[in-house]
Amino acid sequence: MDILLISEYILVIALIIMMLAALRASAYKSTSMGLLGSSVIVNAFAVALLIVGSLYNLQFFRDISLALIFFGFVGTVAFAVVLGGDDK
Amino acid sequence: MIEYIKAALLIIAAILIIISAVGLISLSNTTKNKVYARIHIVGLFDIACIIALIGLGQYLLAGVYFILSPFTAHAIANAYWKNEDRENNVDLMTVEEEVDENHPFIHPKEKMQALESENSEKLKADDRFSVTTIEIDEEE
Repeated sequence: MDILLISEYILVIALIIMMLAALRASAYKSTSMGLLGSSVIVNAFAVALLIVGSLYNLQFFRDISLALIFFGFVGTVAFAVVLGGDDK
Repeated sequence: MIEYIKAALLIIAAILIIISAVGLISLSNTTKNKVYARIHIVGLFDIACIIALIGLGQYLLAGVYFILSPFTAHAIANAYWKNEDRENNVDLMTVEEEVDENHPFIHPKEKMQALESENSEKLKADDRFSVTTIEIDEEE
């Protein structure tokens, strides 16, 4: 078995573990932790999609992961600005 | 040879991601400034993802991620500081009480304290604190 293939599978497993950890972290009390956890889940899913797309020859996987990274950032910053409120 | 370098980068990224996952979960709730610590740990995860993207050959995505991730971390930390950080932000430590002056039962704390300090001599003999007793005959 190819060493690159094995390392890709190891990375996917690590990303799944990170997604579960971020899901737990997003259930903590403050709203900021939910924001942080959801941001981590989106980014981990984008990287996992890149690996799975190259493994199984999916179409448009690069575009979808670029959109996830970019719009995940936009959504996180927008929610953080709303959460922070106005400057006094 | 390039294949080995790519595999090494992916395995390094996987190790860093697992370390950050363990750190994110095992941080105690009694730790001070734990939200900032978790944001810091997520920074490690971001760098691990950038290493993974370089290992996968997606340089454009790695560059975009490298530019955007500090903005995300700063936005979340700023929102937490402004709205929820009661440990460090002085503005959030004082809670303002809004009490209607015409309310029949609820009075502002300052008003009651001023009233008590003015009439402290009078309060000793005040009938508000009088105790009434009822005498009961056992024969009845």
